[in-house]
Amino acid sequence: MPARVPRVTKTEAVVLKRRRFGDSDRIVTLLTPARGKIEAIAKGALRPRSKLAGHLEPMTHVEIMMAHGRTLGIVTQAQTIEPFAALRDDLERLSAGLYLLELADRFTVEEAEADAAYVLLLTALLRLLRGDGHQLVVRSFELALLEATGFRPEWQRCAACRSEVTPDRLVWSPLAGGLLCERCRESHPESEPIDVSVVKVLRLIQDAPYEEAARVRLNQRVAAGMESVMHDLVRAMAERDLGSARFLAAVRHTRPVDDPAATAPDEPASLDGDVTYTPQEPLGASGQTGS
Amino acid sequence: MNESPHGSSTITRLVESFHRLPGIGPKSAQRLAYHVLRAPEEEARALAEALLDVKQRAVLCGACQQISDTDPCAVCDDTRRDRTVICVVEEPLDLVAIERTNGYHGLYHVLHGAISPADGVGPEDLKISELLTRLRRDDGDDAEAVGEVIVATNPNLEGEATAMYLARLLEPLGVRVTRLARGLPAGADLEYVDNVTLERALAFRQSVE
Ligand SMILES: [Zn+2]
Ligand SMILES: [Zn+2]
Repeated sequence: MPARVPRVTKTEAVVLKRRRFGDSDRIVTLLTPARGKIEAIAKGALRPRSKLAGHLEPMTHVEIMMAHGRTLGIVTQAQTIEPFAALRDDLERLSAGLYLLELADRFTVEEAEADAAYVLLLTALLRLLRGDGHQLVVRSFELALLEATGFRPEWQRCAACRSEVTPDRLVWSPLAGGLLCERCRESHPESEPIDVSVVKVLRLIQDAPYEEAARVRLNQRVAAGMESVMHDLVRAMAERDLGSARFLAAVRHTRPVDDPAATAPDEPASLDGDVTYTPQEPLGASGQTGS
Repeated sequence: MNESPHGSSTITRLVESFHRLPGIGPKSAQRLAYHVLRAPEEEARALAEALLDVKQRAVLCGACQQISDTDPCAVCDDTRRDRTVICVVEEPLDLVAIERTNGYHGLYHVLHGAISPADGVGPEDLKISELLTRLRRDDGDDAEAVGEVIVATNPNLEGEATAMYLARLLEPLGVRVTRLARGLPAGADLEYVDNVTLERALAFRQSVE
């Protein structure tokens, strides 16, 4: 009787992470369009002449051939589609990219459809690669991923009871997943005030087309406020700390404070009409280093 | 343990201990356990003593953080070594790999890992502050002051992140920061790179930035 030939399939994937397995193999975690997040073994990937290793680094867009083993898939071939090499040569972009990968990993489960997450991740990495501002790329990825995975934050009304919120004293709670009205905040002792400018930019990034959001200019204070709010929200939804968020902060601390925006006095939040963002750096500009 | 597949709970215990070691599957663990069982008692005693000794005697060298029986370690204590160069590696085994090339005569610093946010390993989990302390200690005007730091982290994502982060921190200290030459296989682990390739990568190291 002939040996049973294992089924081999071809798929695209973004490599999320990898770990050593035994003395010579690696297990890679891949985000794929059709099968969602999967783990597969790359045999011999630790050996110096491995044909697989270079293609299976995290943050690589690859095409792989995979045989279906009894428990884990086995990567039989891998070919890089996009290595995102430029992201690896720049600490700011690299740390932003690592954060995208960890988010994608945290908000997907194995062997469950994750087409949206796949497209969002690949799009965000390509935007970082082409030099879009990190703030915009990362914030729009966070908001879209949360929405795609059923955690859409509420920035318009009260996240708990859907009633109107008082625009002059906005509060929010990461656990409630958005803004809270006067009444509901009573039952949320963890709720905190939130800057109206931060809320307005978050609304814009959440609902307007990316290109429109890219035209908004915002100052360092709003950018920092948004980042802190989104990190708190993501931590609450993922129910754990994200190592890459801590690394982003560590990287930021290595930069000298030479940006005038970082030391500019806070301007009062505007309450009526559209927020006019102090023109410092356009949200979508290249070389924007985040808050 | 009420039921033992080996008919002996002491063997089961040994099999399980071996199985916990990296790279040892259940089959190998069984083979090792039965080997020990059949071996002369002295061999078993030597193994047990070696295991305990390494836990009791091995310390981290206060300077380079490598695992050693003495503090300072033999490398740091060797007056013939070039004290103006420090080669930074991820793991003690990488240091062993570089020593094996016989092509490097400076000092080392072992980070004990690489930045890997997804695995929860950040800069604060590595021996980075120890390196900074080492570099700040010498004030730059004696002949033994460190003039160059070679960042020999692995040529993979974690290694690159660690190297760039270190370069950022070392820049203001006025030391030259170099990185192993490109040409090492991407995604590789230094521990597995052959001597010739590694020696060449060291010889043709490049300044960062
Ligand atoms: Zn309410
Ligand atoms: Zn030492």
